[in-house]
Amino acid sequence: MRPAAITLALMLTACSAAGAGNPSSDPRPPAAGFDRLSYPRADYAEAKPGMAGGTLVVAAARDNGTLDWQLLADTNSKWLARMTGDSLVYLDEQGAITPWLATAWTVSPDGLVYTFTLRDGVTFADGTPLDAEAVRVNLDRIRNPATRAAMTTAYIAPYVRGEVVDRLTFRAHLSEPYAPFLNVLAQAWFGLISPKQIREAPETIATAPIGSGPFVVTRYVRQQEVVLTRRTDYAWSPPLTGHKGPAYLERIIVRTLPEALSRYTALKAGEVDFLNDAPAQKAAIIRSDPELVFRNRINLGNPVRGITFNVDRAPFNDPRLRLAFAKAIDRNALSRGPGFAEYAPTTAFLSASTPYRDTAVVKPLGYDPAGANRLLDAAGWQARGADGIRVKDGKRLRLAVLTSNANGLDQVLVGIQSEVRKVGIDLAIDLVPVAQQTERRRLGNYEAFGPGYWHTNTPDGLYIVYHGKQRDDGPYRGQNNSRLADPQLDAILAEARRGASPERLAALYRSAQARLAELVPAIPTSENHTLVAYRADVRGLIFDTSHNTPRFETVWLDRRGS
Amino acid sequence: MTLLRTLATRLASGVLVLWIVATLTFGAMHATAGDPAIAILGGPDALPTQAVVEEVRREYGLNDPLPVQYARYLGRLLSGDLGESYRLRTPVTSAILEQLGSTVVLGGIAGVLALAIALGLALVGAGRGPRVGGAITAVEVVITAVPNFVIGVGLMFLLAFQLRLVPVAGEQGWASLVLPVLTLAIPSSIVMAQVLRSELDEVLEQPFILTARARGLGEAGVRVLHALRHAVIPLLTLAGYVFGFLLGGTVITETLFARRGIGRLMVDSALTSDIPMVIGISLFIALSYVLVTLIVDLIAAAVDPRARLA
Repeated sequence: MRPAAITLALMLTACSAAGAGNPSSDPRPPAAGFDRLSYPRADYAEAKPGMAGGTLVVAAARDNGTLDWQLLADTNSKWLARMTGDSLVYLDEQGAITPWLATAWTVSPDGLVYTFTLRDGVTFADGTPLDAEAVRVNLDRIRNPATRAAMTTAYIAPYVRGEVVDRLTFRAHLSEPYAPFLNVLAQAWFGLISPKQIREAPETIATAPIGSGPFVVTRYVRQQEVVLTRRTDYAWSPPLTGHKGPAYLERIIVRTLPEALSRYTALKAGEVDFLNDAPAQKAAIIRSDPELVFRNRINLGNPVRGITFNVDRAPFNDPRLRLAFAKAIDRNALSRGPGFAEYAPTTAFLSASTPYRDTAVVKPLGYDPAGANRLLDAAGWQARGADGIRVKDGKRLRLAVLTSNANGLDQVLVGIQSEVRKVGIDLAIDLVPVAQQTERRRLGNYEAFGPGYWHTNTPDGLYIVYHGKQRDDGPYRGQNNSRLADPQLDAILAEARRGASPERLAALYRSAQARLAELVPAIPTSENHTLVAYRADVRGLIFDTSHNTPRFETVWLDRRGS
Repeated sequence: MTLLRTLATRLASGVLVLWIVATLTFGAMHATAGDPAIAILGGPDALPTQAVVEEVRREYGLNDPLPVQYARYLGRLLSGDLGESYRLRTPVTSAILEQLGSTVVLGGIAGVLALAIALGLALVGAGRGPRVGGAITAVEVVITAVPNFVIGVGLMFLLAFQLRLVPVAGEQGWASLVLPVLTLAIPSSIVMAQVLRSELDEVLEQPFILTARARGLGEAGVRVLHALRHAVIPLLTLAGYVFGFLLGGTVITETLFARRGIGRLMVDSALTSDIPMVIGISLFIALSYVLVTLIVDLIAAAVDPRARLA
């Protein structure tokens, strides 16, 4: 999923400055060496009922131009889709699958057939009841190439056929075992849309999608605002949230404010109550402001990779050079430059909030300039030019990184550039328009690829980013920008994808991450965060277990005095 | 007869300009925008399957050679069809029309305000000797040198954040127009004021001004009734420039103040390689330039008899 196009600067240290007015502060990102970060259940479940009524004004950095969440791959659509759509299943805070619109499910021993029992009494906003046929129509829509879904089709690629067993029993048939199936179905992009709308008026989904969620889109003005009104008959929040009945808020207005400064100013002035894409550069000010609250969450999936090497290109086709590159980077020093103390440094290939994350096996990637120098010397790059850059056979040790700064993460490259120069590597930043970057990615015409991340709610994110079949020139227009095709790693990731016992999965993902630490196709630099800020009278916020984005059915306004 | 012939020539050259713009943008976009199928599917951060990519290729005729695509595109253009936006999946024409009103309101008000400020500055400032004139010029140069964005942020901090007189951003009522209008109007008014003032400086030295003064006409009367009329013509020729300035300024102001509009649509479309949208807006902008310069020339001919001979 793409990060919203906002000016995020990378910030790489943990910070302890929680504002006095903050009713709750998230656990700080774990320091290096810790394993998985667990947020408490309380962040995902309602503590006590709130007061009904009122309008919440939310600001977001961008408008996708469409509200059809099933077609998008955009990061901004996650929380918006949750307001209006519900998924079949929901994760718990540890990543296990729990009920939502499906109250129960079974998986056949061969992993090819998933049978779902649906919750009775659920309706879409147009009155259409949720039944097995509705689920079938939705999955078929996503699966159909003519729908042109940018990501969801790939996420359920093994799904071949839906079967309506009876009114409330749906069976999904897969072509091959695919363990992440339930995880991806829990994501916001798989929220169900009224089958009536899909069949009779699919062209209206982009501007007024009809889901079964707690809010209904009542007005959408592109680039301006989305107005959502609550459904008074809503009664099927994920059981894990502990929320019963309709949302508390009467109305939500989502305004698009592309400029980070405008968003902050509007929040401070009280024109908006809640910021998605809170500007990191204002985090310290917001944290110290008793009227405001700042929350910082680490997303599941893959962390930010500062650099992804094209492993086919000399001289960095040599894993020793790539490891040396990783060792040369002091991620804490990166943070002292552009850092705003919100983004946590990491060397791991999975994010801190993702199951099976392993920090032990990635220790060699940690900051060790002496080790970096030794590796580079051993690889035959002992000589240095007048500018301090290493030379071998008359060639300078240079790496050109291709980037478009489409995700606003490029500042980290400047930091990396000065770090690796200290060990004699010349990093050249090749900034091009995003379309050129995409084209050159397809052709493999680059030495390294700029900062990026891939968020998904399963460790299968490793398959998406590093498996040989995910190269851009492969069967998917994939996200494997390193063009790695390592038979050993591919076998491990493919086995994990087919599914196994938790013990076996732990072993598989450990060896996958260990193999990645040997190959170093990419260099993780920091976690990928969700930043939100809101006024202190906004209460009851809980987070989505798949995306760590806000859920709004439990939010209420504490405005008794005003 | 002459007027008709002039009109016909101008219209023909206008059509030529539009064709050139269409062709150049088509070529430029296809040369730089990479694989349109990927752009249609959301750019580098999408994860489309090959089947979806092929479906898009077939649907948009992207497998045809570029000349065939160009011919098909021109054909559609001739019938007035600008195509469908890759990103929004709505017709380009309706997407432009959807955003147009907002830009016209913003640009229109800013243009009128800019003209008023320029007239005021020029009438008060002209012919005041080198000291006052130099001081005014200095201020003008500074303002012209400050980027639009900085002016906008400065105004936002002062008026919205410190004084809380107007909303920070958005389109909630007339008050939210204040910041974008000022941000747009101030720099363009300075440009106009400079031209107008130097013209006035010159006119005020003319013998007929001396005559007017000798008739006992007051200073305000001299400036407004006599000098201004002569200074307006160069301002008129500046209208095309100001029009472009306002249009270009909307890109920044619409984004900064979160307004809908053509400028923001153009930025979003360019960033996402939305080829039909970018070409559509380029054509639209070219068309408005053609119309504006035509109208300006007609007015100039009506105001100044000398222009008719040219």
